[in-house]
Amino acid sequence: MSTTEWLNPLEHILNCPVRLVTLQQSDWEELTQKSDRVFYSDDNNSRLAAEGSRVEQDGTVWIVVSNANKTIEAIEIESPGLQQRELELISWTLRTQSLRNQTVKTSAASLSESENFALKLSEWIQQQLESEEPSYSIPDSLTAGGKLFAEMIPFLLITEQPNTTKQAAYSELEKLLRSFLADDILLIPLKNQEWLIWGPASLLRDADSELADDEDEETVEDSLASICHGLHEMLASEWIGECHLAVAHPTSPAKGIVETTALLRETINLGRKFHVGTNIHLPWMLQLERLLNAIPEVQRSRYLEHSLKRSELFVEAEMLATLEAFFALDCNVSETAKKLYIHRNTLLYRLDKLKQETGLDVRQFRDAVLVKIILLLYKVTKRN
Amino acid sequence: MAGVRLEGIYKKYPGSDKASVTDVNLDIKDKEFLVLVGPSGCGKSTTLRMIAGLEEISEGKLFIGDRLVNDVAPKDRDIAMVFQSYALYPHMNVYQNMAFGLKLRKFKKADIDKRVREAAKILDIEHLLDRKPKALSGGQRQRVALGRAIVREPQVFLMDEPLSNLDAKLRGQMRAEISKLTKRLETTTIYVTHDQIEAMTMGDRIVVMKDGFIQQTASPEELYNHPVNIFVAGFIGAPSMNFISGTVSEQGGGLKFKATGVDVAIPEGKAAVLRSKGYVGKEVILGIRPEDLHEEPVFLEASPNTIVNANIEVAENLGHEMYLYLNGIGTETVIARVDGRSALRDGSSVKLALDMNKVHLFDKESELNIFEN
Repeated sequence: MSTTEWLNPLEHILNCPVRLVTLQQSDWEELTQKSDRVFYSDDNNSRLAAEGSRVEQDGTVWIVVSNANKTIEAIEIESPGLQQRELELISWTLRTQSLRNQTVKTSAASLSESENFALKLSEWIQQQLESEEPSYSIPDSLTAGGKLFAEMIPFLLITEQPNTTKQAAYSELEKLLRSFLADDILLIPLKNQEWLIWGPASLLRDADSELADDEDEETVEDSLASICHGLHEMLASEWIGECHLAVAHPTSPAKGIVETTALLRETINLGRKFHVGTNIHLPWMLQLERLLNAIPEVQRSRYLEHSLKRSELFVEAEMLATLEAFFALDCNVSETAKKLYIHRNTLLYRLDKLKQETGLDVRQFRDAVLVKIILLLYKVTKRN
Repeated sequence: MAGVRLEGIYKKYPGSDKASVTDVNLDIKDKEFLVLVGPSGCGKSTTLRMIAGLEEISEGKLFIGDRLVNDVAPKDRDIAMVFQSYALYPHMNVYQNMAFGLKLRKFKKADIDKRVREAAKILDIEHLLDRKPKALSGGQRQRVALGRAIVREPQVFLMDEPLSNLDAKLRGQMRAEISKLTKRLETTTIYVTHDQIEAMTMGDRIVVMKDGFIQQTASPEELYNHPVNIFVAGFIGAPSMNFISGTVSEQGGGLKFKATGVDVAIPEGKAAVLRSKGYVGKEVILGIRPEDLHEEPVFLEASPNTIVNANIEVAENLGHEMYLYLNGIGTETVIARVDGRSALRDGSSVKLALDMNKVHLFDKESELNIFEN
């Protein structure tokens, strides 16, 4: 807050004239010699015109607001009626404010070059995300000398537990990511506990194995998912504990940083909403969830209510777990039974029971889709 | 190395009325292998994650050694974790995967090399050190994940269903290896599983959990032979214990247990307890393990007062033993485990003697074991 911003309210509160005056060091010394009462605010009582120090003379009080290069800025209050306690309060406020400003200046000066750059980029990204007509290309001043034109892998990290100060967290996380991913990473702090991380696209090559069987070749999505799992494991065990991480396809930050950030945020939101307990969220795995999320709440609830009326079976923990596993394993009966440690016949019995009670046979594609939708909607609405 | 102490630990998630973990008190001794077991949703993983620092503790105190660690970050707890969904670092080779944690902690290169090679030797993965995770089999990946934990030489190992992604054969093999390994390293280990065979074979002590509450903490033998309630009795053991609802009644100076198709004498020792606790004339639930139903003539002759007649619905012959699925004993199907060489077949009838010295009786209301509480 600038001095002019608080001067008028202070005048209003004190109900007497308050002016901002500039004094030279010699003027201040003369005032202190002639004055009735002098108060030095600095702890060492070193008779300097430190912020908050004051001089009183013939019903007028001067309190130092700032002191730079022997030029003192002070407020001049004309009020013989002011109590000592009120004056002390004003002195204390000015002193505290000055100390706070010093801390901010010191910390800003100690920011690393990369953090300063990241903060500027963060501010720009957030402006674009809040804007109705966002610009999708980074302005030239923020492209880091063309570094951001190269393709990189974007991750969005949301931590659950607050770390130390943001600044300490930045340097710690940046160092950790450099040792884990590569030196040329880009770390951008977004909202509180939200970090945008860009890693080099070469990670995809590094994750490929020289011994991999051609027939068993991984897709880009598989590789991105395994890098994301690895990064999550490392962050959870070596840094912050519980966190959520999303990854998207490689892109050039200069061109796609705003869209990618929006996509990753949406991905984490959808993942947390539809898959509680999951920490790694992949946009290509949340297509159906994205679609369902776009349906108005009222319609979703109505459909779910109608579906659940068919049977309470859907909400039984055992049935939920069975269906989850069945769908995760592409409706494969043998694999699901194995995964659930139950006999194949036990699984078939459960599926038959569901068919009997609801008329929906999840071994049929058409019914499987419906049940999958019911389960997704149930997971969202049961928490509301 | 260190013990772990949980004092009145609770976990409540925002927006939920019910605690996921309620008043957990455990004193895990140094070098102990403790298994948390229970069905899905019982709170075992949540408890482990709180010990790991991955979940905040809502209430209570957690000590590792003598240090209160409620507010200590996971990386500073001196623990190493191997979880079901463990992920190796795909862009690093096996050596780098195992060395990464040590590198972060600024260990000297020579120390890192020594620890990684030693761990690789223990786990028999020395020949894989240059490979990337993608080129490894499921079992080999699991060993690397274990190796990553071992090199840290932590005070405590935390393992959450680390074998569940492996096939049955490999799981059996790794089960034995983990047991051997933790004994050799003499590190306190807390192991979560839903598989009671893993629990029974690996744990020095087992904690059975249900709905966020500890049901019983005891050695495997104690749990099997002296379950405190129906839940523990039914959860531990495969096939699980048979339960028959019936009544305790006085007859001819002794006590009898009567149910549909069952009229058997209760041994004196057990009868005395039932009398003293006022169960005569009341409904109780009898629990009997499949191996405590006998068809051998010697046993039938020796126990004329505990014989029941049943029909065999299905006889499953596993070679070394046979499971008989029986009806006529109580209202539910009862399973008996008999010798694999038995000539019994589906649809035939059979006489069986119940080993009444081994049965448990449970209070119908509280479901507590009358003889253990």
